[in-house]
Amino acid sequence: MTRTPYWAAFTDGIRRTMAAPAELAVRIGFFAVILVVFSSLWRAATQANGGVIQGYGYRELLWYVIAAEGCVIATKPRLIEEIGDDIGNGDIAIDMLRPVSVVSFRMAAEMGEAVVRLVCALSLGAVFGLLSVSAPPSLEGLLAALPAALLAVGCNLTMQYSFAAAAFWVEDAKSTWFLYQKLIFLLGGMLLPLELLPESLAGIARLLPFWTTAYVPARLLSGHAEWQLLIVQLGWLIVLVAAALAAFRAGEKRLVVTGG
Amino acid sequence: MRIILSTFKNSLIEAWTNRRSFWLQVSIMLANDLVWVLFWILFFERVSTVRGWDRSRVLLLFAILTTVAGISLGLLANARKIGQLSAGGELDAALALPIHPLAFLLVRRVDTGLLGDLFFGPILFVLAGEPTLERTAIFIFGSLCGAAVLVGFLVAIGALTLFIGGTGEQADLGFQTILILASYPVDVFGGATKLLLFTSVPAAFISGLPTRLVDDWQWTTAAALLTAALVFASLGVRLFNLGLHRYSSGARWTRA
Amino acid sequence: MAAIEVTNLVKRFATKGRGRRSLVEAVSGITFSVEDGERLAYIGPNGAGKSTSIKMLTGILHPTEGHATVLGYIPWSERRKLVRHIGTLFGQRSQLWAQLTARQTFRLLARIYRLDDRDAARRIEELGELLEATTLFDVPVKSLSLGQRMRCELTASQLHSPRVLFLDEPTIGLGLVAKQRFREMIVRLNEERNMTVFLTSHDVSDIEYVARRVIVINHGRIIYDDDVSSMRRSLLRTKLLEVRFEEAPRALSLDSVEVLKHSGLGYKLVVHTSQRSIRSVLDELLDDYSVADISVLDPPLEEIITEIYEAPQR
Repeated sequence: MTRTPYWAAFTDGIRRTMAAPAELAVRIGFFAVILVVFSSLWRAATQANGGVIQGYGYRELLWYVIAAEGCVIATKPRLIEEIGDDIGNGDIAIDMLRPVSVVSFRMAAEMGEAVVRLVCALSLGAVFGLLSVSAPPSLEGLLAALPAALLAVGCNLTMQYSFAAAAFWVEDAKSTWFLYQKLIFLLGGMLLPLELLPESLAGIARLLPFWTTAYVPARLLSGHAEWQLLIVQLGWLIVLVAAALAAFRAGEKRLVVTGG
Repeated sequence: MRIILSTFKNSLIEAWTNRRSFWLQVSIMLANDLVWVLFWILFFERVSTVRGWDRSRVLLLFAILTTVAGISLGLLANARKIGQLSAGGELDAALALPIHPLAFLLVRRVDTGLLGDLFFGPILFVLAGEPTLERTAIFIFGSLCGAAVLVGFLVAIGALTLFIGGTGEQADLGFQTILILASYPVDVFGGATKLLLFTSVPAAFISGLPTRLVDDWQWTTAAALLTAALVFASLGVRLFNLGLHRYSSGARWTRA
Repeated sequence: MAAIEVTNLVKRFATKGRGRRSLVEAVSGITFSVEDGERLAYIGPNGAGKSTSIKMLTGILHPTEGHATVLGYIPWSERRKLVRHIGTLFGQRSQLWAQLTARQTFRLLARIYRLDDRDAARRIEELGELLEATTLFDVPVKSLSLGQRMRCELTASQLHSPRVLFLDEPTIGLGLVAKQRFREMIVRLNEERNMTVFLTSHDVSDIEYVARRVIVINHGRIIYDDDVSSMRRSLLRTKLLEVRFEEAPRALSLDSVEVLKHSGLGYKLVVHTSQRSIRSVLDELLDDYSVADISVLDPPLEEIITEIYEAPQR
């Protein structure tokens, strides 16, 4: 295990992120701002609503925000654009010269980078949460949320790779990062818990993969020990990995044909 | 002024040369703004009012914010790039011309994507802001003041790069911070944060105060807004001018 | 009248290496003056302080110490007044807008320099003819070759008829032909209006073809300042002889002369003039051998400059 190139890529990703503390600090600083904003918003909103909105009190909402925002901020926001650029200018072809799977290798490296940011963000979030309210509402939920956070980042990465693969066929595919981000905002439950959406919209969101990236860990951390959500994440992760691998395999063939 | 307008005209022509990408970027930005509107509509389905802010007021705030962003980040796109430009030694061209370098830099580049905001803001105001002649006039006044505050703030934190070095990361963080803080009603924030929004991260002047003015015109509030606009604009100019003394034109002496 | 006067100019940069702040002196007290209409080459190896000097003289950088005037203005404090009368061309920074045509940028620059529209149009045509660039003006700049773009940049720097032209590494990256062409243009502009030319370069041929005077800077100090022709003369310790014999000499051996190379009847010889006069070498050759043709040459400037760089610093 320790000797595979993918593990090397993963640890290299960790090292790379730690070697750029300024960049990391900016990201985590921004996360802190988001926490201030959303904790203020939800405090005011719950006060105005008699303390509880759709089953969420201020304490639940705060931990919800910490998990949802933390998991999203840990992944590179413009990954789709970056991969799209690499495909567009042919840099990806250089990776293809190595005797490893391009997608797996790159995803391992991204995962390494994301893990560092995730740990930093969640630690800061934990301190913030403990200081402004109290511990997460349920221990079981907390225990479930930890693997869910990792799975959320994994799902997010693989989904971005699946989206980005479109760049093999469509020139402007890289611009979809923006729309992807918005889908995560709304259908992924990043801005609002899915329970706060109108029922029809929430129903659609539960059928799509986006909710695995933010809603699932957030729902768990906000005190709802719904273990079956982890199975949903795992299922989607398998589907998404398969989709990304298949899309890149097809795309690489096309690149070889047209790229010469 | 004529010079500034001519420069500006060139920037617009330049942005317009790649029409396909122009429309793509504009529509992406419009989609982005629509998602935010949707967010607020959904939010206020579940929550009636938050400290005096209801749906229509928040939409008015959002209309002002997007207009301000369209002006400061779309039309004057270099406002948030001052840090990067200084660190990369890219002020040279502007310094070689007989006009004020900051004025030239600000109009030198138009960001096509954020121009979408400039369309969106006024349209949202017309649709959701109950426009009357008076409200429209205040909307324009408030947006212009907000833009002056935002540009001044962005230039000031960008110009800090000239003093503290680095490649302008602090400017990027400041830019993201002020925008997200300005996206929410100022009154949801308490104590210390609120004080911050009226002083060092002047998000309140960008969206909150202008919104309040449109709904409820008070001469004192208007005066405060105008003062903030002047203070931050001159702060930006002052810091930039001072920083020029330390400008190193991107000379790479590190590790020399 | 002196176009440029520089006294004890110093520039230090604060650097941050490995977390420690320290000062690096890029220019360490330079003094010189340049007369109106001169063509000066300001040369030195990479990192010698050339760009820093030129950027102080154009008002872009503020010096740490010292004084300078250009056309009577102090560049950094009277920058906006000064730049109306000078032209600048920085090889690695474009003045032109990539997406637009050069003419569109020219029109904007004409506004910025407050030129009358009709005068500007006439000036653009004149320059187009002089620099053989008129056909390039209506193509988007991004699709021009580097050589073509540099001719447009040169045009842009000339719209307001500057009295001094500052060029920082203008020929960097250009091909041989384009370089040569660009040098001719600069000389032409100098001769047209007696415009002072201040050129930095680390390409020695730039000096050879453009400059009449040369200042050599290294490690932030001026180590040489003289006319190009007297530099050759005073620093020449060797001459090259190209000799063609009528029949192959048996063994060619002359005091203080080395054979550089030979092929058939042609020989290339180096004469150490400090040890022996060229005249005595010529006499000996003509007396003792049957010479068909002979010519005396100076060594290339490149060697002279290298010698200056390597000389112990004063």
